[in-house]
Amino acid sequence: MTTLPIAVPPAGDAPGTAGRAFGEHGHWPRKPRTWPRTVVIVAVICALTAWSAIAIQVDPATLIRNAHNASNTLVQLFQPDYTFIPDTADALLETVQMAVIGTAVSVALALPISFVASRVTNPSTVVLGIARFIMNVVRSIPDLLYAAVFVTVIGTGAISGVFALVLFDLGIMVKLISEALDGLDRGGQEAALASGATWLKADRIAMLPEVASSYISQTIYVFELNIRASTVIGLVGAGGLGMLIDKVRTFYQYHYLSTIILEVLVIILALELLSSASRKRLLL
Amino acid sequence: MSQAQQAAGIRFDHVGVTYANGFVGLDDITLRIDSGEMVAVVGLSGAGKSTLVRTINGLVPISSGQITVGGVGLKDLRGKGLRTVRSEVGMIFQSFNLAKRTTVINNVLMGRLYHTPAWRTLLAAWKRDDVELAMQALERVEIVHKAYANASELSGGQQQRVAIARSLAQRPRVILADEPTASLDPPTSHVVMRDLQRINAELGITVVVNLHFLDLARRYGQRVIGLRGGRLVFDGPGADADAGVFESIYGRSLTAEDMLPGHQQAAV
Ligand SMILES: Nc1ncnc2c1ncn2[C@@H]1O[C@H](COP(=O)(O)OP(=O)(O)O)[C@@H](O)[C@H]1O
Ligand SMILES: [Mg+2]
Repeated sequence: MTTLPIAVPPAGDAPGTAGRAFGEHGHWPRKPRTWPRTVVIVAVICALTAWSAIAIQVDPATLIRNAHNASNTLVQLFQPDYTFIPDTADALLETVQMAVIGTAVSVALALPISFVASRVTNPSTVVLGIARFIMNVVRSIPDLLYAAVFVTVIGTGAISGVFALVLFDLGIMVKLISEALDGLDRGGQEAALASGATWLKADRIAMLPEVASSYISQTIYVFELNIRASTVIGLVGAGGLGMLIDKVRTFYQYHYLSTIILEVLVIILALELLSSASRKRLLL
Repeated sequence: MSQAQQAAGIRFDHVGVTYANGFVGLDDITLRIDSGEMVAVVGLSGAGKSTLVRTINGLVPISSGQITVGGVGLKDLRGKGLRTVRSEVGMIFQSFNLAKRTTVINNVLMGRLYHTPAWRTLLAAWKRDDVELAMQALERVEIVHKAYANASELSGGQQQRVAIARSLAQRPRVILADEPTASLDPPTSHVVMRDLQRINAELGITVVVNLHFLDLARRYGQRVIGLRGGRLVFDGPGADADAGVFESIYGRSLTAEDMLPGHQQAAV
């Protein structure tokens, strides 16, 4: 075979058009006028804020009148009673247990649901639409409301709290993971499908490894959320530290209250350190 | 590696592809590729090269006419029937299409998914024989020592060879390659092209490879097919693809600009 040097011509223009200078005649594009729109947006935001403040009667005078009362409470809050710590142990443990179970159950359920709720891993637009609609509803309900509902239906205690956390986490986790899937490179999946794999197999083998690191990272995030949330949902009777907080609050035991707040702070800080360390370890 | 299956021939009968937006990707293509042939498809970008090879494994459905692969018609073929054809046709992509965050061997094992039950797939509990087959495929492209490396750690050329091993693990009757060298430097391009050539010669697998450059096509394809605007404009031995053929495929005559720097060394 002769070596005729035949290659494809470089894409683009015919010779001669390439070297023309831009803006030879000074006709630069005009900067579009955007300031009227900015003014309107800022005005609308200001109006909305003022309207909200008036509607819920934010009254600086009341704040000043109650200042004395508030300062008494604050003084007590700044004097935590450390002897109370042993009495919080059970509730604290329950909070952590609720967070662990809630995280475990919700992330396990969230993984397959995320694959159904991502347009990249689910070829059926009908099933995708249904899954996304249901998950939007699940996510639109706040944790405290879930807790209130389960306390009403099942009764007070940690089990209601766990149910509330699972549904709350599920909404967040499916949203985060299905969006992570949406943004993935689909090359491996395409290759698997081209070799005769079903979507289930292609997703499992080609997409799961790609999303695994964000799944682990979001699991840690959800666990953090759960520790926070499980202190709050107790306020409506769903177990854990929150229930203890509610008790000491109703008896105006602010020394005890501040002890609990301090404990929560320490746990959350420790957790934050732990999770950032494990993220680094996992190179997420 | 023993080939369990005979290579397959491919027939296009008046094949047309019209995309959803009305664009005609392929226009009345009729051609016949015999089993065991190595064919290069050339054309400008947008000529329909990818469309053509993607119809052969049904990644692009045909609108009219018929394609048969090893005697099986692809028109309106769906579900299990389509997957069976696909399992016999390996595909190699321009951008390698590996799952980057998993091991090389897992990527090669992807070629066995059609034959792996769903429960095994979910647990990633591969059959021993399949792991053996995947290792042999990696050995054939001389990269078996990287079996447990992460795919992302490999160079472009190595990744493309993993992709070739993945298609070999299918024990395919046909291998399709869509501009397999477009993301590679010239020396690596030749390594990959020689791998494909060897696979064609030693295993007798039918190979259809899209190439942007006519010189690569002339060098590695026993037969060259030229596409322009979705139509067949040339079909013949590489040696016949002269300057006149170049003009018919690329729409302009050969000029000095068409010579890439260092091109002649690479093409020898
Ligand atoms: N999914 C699609 N929908 C509409 N047009 C497409 C689609 N895929 C490819 N095309 C068009 O079909 C033509 C041929 O594309 P392609 O087969 O990728 O060409 P090549 O591989 O030769 O560069 C191009 O003009 C491209 O824009
Ligand atoms: Mg292409």
